[in-house]
Amino acid sequence: MENAKDTFYITLRNRLAALNPDRTMVMRGLLRPGILVEENEIVSAEMPRDVFVLRWKDAAVDMQQPLALTKLQCEVVYGTDGNADNAAMDRGRLLTAMDAELAGILNPGHAVKMNYAQEPVTAMSTSLFWSDAAYGPIVSEREHLQRTATVEVFSYEEPEER
Amino acid sequence: MNDTNGRALGPTRVADSLLRSLGGQSVLLRLPGVATAGDDTEQLGLSVPVFQDVTIGPVVYRKLRPTVETDGTIRAEMLVSSTAIEKQVGSLQFDSASVFFAQAVGVIVDGVLMRIESVTVSELFGKPYLYRLELATPLALTT
Repeated sequence: MENAKDTFYITLRNRLAALNPDRTMVMRGLLRPGILVEENEIVSAEMPRDVFVLRWKDAAVDMQQPLALTKLQCEVVYGTDGNADNAAMDRGRLLTAMDAELAGILNPGHAVKMNYAQEPVTAMSTSLFWSDAAYGPIVSEREHLQRTATVEVFSYEEPEER
Repeated sequence: MNDTNGRALGPTRVADSLLRSLGGQSVLLRLPGVATAGDDTEQLGLSVPVFQDVTIGPVVYRKLRPTVETDGTIRAEMLVSSTAIEKQVGSLQFDSASVFFAQAVGVIVDGVLMRIESVTVSELFGKPYLYRLELATPLALTT
């Protein structure tokens, strides 16, 4: 499952860098595309703004296949406070832009599975594929707007992954 | 507005004296190293950055108003001298104290790494003299 999670994140990150090079964040002194996997970062009391945060949730394995088919649920949490120069009156537009960016980086919904745990990184035999995003309602708290979208990621477990 | 005639140093000295008289212990603030450019392993959780512990003091760690959350997290407060923070912010070349605290993983108190939940600053004459940190215990220690 780890290879599927890693490949999904790296794919979305690289697509985001190409789609909107301006969506960046500084994490520990390094400028990166504005997307991260929550479980791979230092625990923080505050959710970053204007950044996509991937949060892995449910997992299921279907063994009734020649290769075990895993289904992972990924929540993509993102929000914005709007632009302070615009008195946050553009927060709705900024969140809508993030909705569109998420749809953009999820398309096409497949990628060749990679193994990032070894050097050099190698392509595996199978691909992973994922659903369109199911967008949750906007949660609003003063000027902060936040949405959680859910994506289901499917992957075949190759023999060497067991 | 910044004070230019030295009045601003008064509250800092008073705060330092007060913290020392109340115990004035030193604690360690844990900071992660700078992320490595072009290295995906940290972003994937395959490797962790090098951590650096810096000493800050005088501080007073207190549970005057401890609260226990529904998940068992225990919160506590720590009062930190601005002198100690300014020294570290300067020597480690951070832009400001807020960046310094934002980068920190947590504070090590008696061997326990506590997460920084919030930081508030007390100022007089435009100069900080005391930082109040709200800390939370790790979940592993809440049972």
